[in-house]
Amino acid sequence: MSVPILKQGDVLIASIQVAQTDAELLALRDRLTGQVGDVRARGVIIDVSALDVMDSFATRTLRAIAYSSRLRGAHTVVVGISPEVAFAMVQLGLELGAVSTALDLDDAIAQLEQHRKNERRRE
Amino acid sequence: MANDLVSEADSAVAREMGLLSEQAVERRLKAVALGSADLARIARARQHILGHIEEYTAGFFGYLGELDDAREFMRNRDAVEQARRLKLEHLIAMVGGQYGTEYVQQRIKLGRLYSRAGLEMRLFLGAFHDLLRRIGATLLANATTEKEAFDDFMSLNKVAFFDIGIIVDVMVFERERVISRQQEAIRELTTPVLQIRDRLLMLPIIGTIDTHRARMLTEGLLHAIRANRARVVVMDVTGVGAVDTKVANHLLQTVSASRLMGATVIVTGLSAEVSQTLVNLGVDLAGLQTIGDLQGGIEEAERLIGYQVFRAEQRPSAPPFPSQV
Repeated sequence: MSVPILKQGDVLIASIQVAQTDAELLALRDRLTGQVGDVRARGVIIDVSALDVMDSFATRTLRAIAYSSRLRGAHTVVVGISPEVAFAMVQLGLELGAVSTALDLDDAIAQLEQHRKNERRRE
Repeated sequence: MANDLVSEADSAVAREMGLLSEQAVERRLKAVALGSADLARIARARQHILGHIEEYTAGFFGYLGELDDAREFMRNRDAVEQARRLKLEHLIAMVGGQYGTEYVQQRIKLGRLYSRAGLEMRLFLGAFHDLLRRIGATLLANATTEKEAFDDFMSLNKVAFFDIGIIVDVMVFERERVISRQQEAIRELTTPVLQIRDRLLMLPIIGTIDTHRARMLTEGLLHAIRANRARVVVMDVTGVGAVDTKVANHLLQTVSASRLMGATVIVTGLSAEVSQTLVNLGVDLAGLQTIGDLQGGIEEAERLIGYQVFRAEQRPSAPPFPSQV
């Protein structure tokens, strides 16, 4: 099942509802990075709260989405990693690197807002 | 005969100690060098001993009754009564010539009874020695030559040491089990996650951190982060005495896992010695946000969330710094 991508203002929200195959994840990556340019998004939120497994491929793909979105001008926040998934990821040595994380959607939106303010100040 | 006397718990202990296999029992018998010549001598001594077992048992508990240290044990009438019965069976089995798994299970039962009732090992050894002295005296009185009495006694002694080996092992095993149960209790007690402000948690760690505890601690913290929607966690390690590479890695894992859930972790209370150890070990703590003491950590956490704390009389009249957000 392909992941729906919602647009809210200049933020894209992708909520992963069921376990994804590697091919589906790659498709999500391509669609997201494409849409970031199409709608001139400034933020991307990826909700993974429905996932109970996060393997190295998924981690790498999330990282790829975040880095390439940043190159196209959008900041990415990964939302809703459950305690079990977080613990398993740390045990397996999987890292999201510089990708931002937030507890839930509220926090992610607040974080994007904060990020935007910081950028504006820099300008 | 033994099976109906041995409870489920006794068998469980035997299994955990790895004493239920024929090979394990054989190795133990080999350790005391019990051979066929010994079995023949024991069979010869048997008739003399069986006539006196009541007397030996009474002597064993009489001996304990004389000792001040054993008073606590002797006051436990149920235990003493049961031990008396088991001791009688023990003496019969001791000269029975069958030293297999059933015999071992009976010894384990007696050993567990002693340790549950709080009979100290040295007291048991003292009383057992006295028991052997009595048996020796009987053998000496009934044998035709002193040499024969001595040989019979030494063969029986092998069985006695075989018994002591098992009973001591059981008592040590039981004691270790109590200790590990207490450690478990302490572990659970000392990993509270406390909320000190809305969305601000505190995790005071006290004592030593091993892999098991680090895991429980991390799991507890991650669930608390979700339940309290925490944004910042102050992890205080003032109470952690020793930190080595392993412990540091555990701390780093906890911090990374919390970050994956969107929470920032501030580590406080790394003492001068601990931080020097870490530097000497070459542990890379670059990924950690550390602040000297707990107070500083909480102040920093409040700042991150956007709290400003003032004393009531110093409260600024204007709304506090809205422009700073």
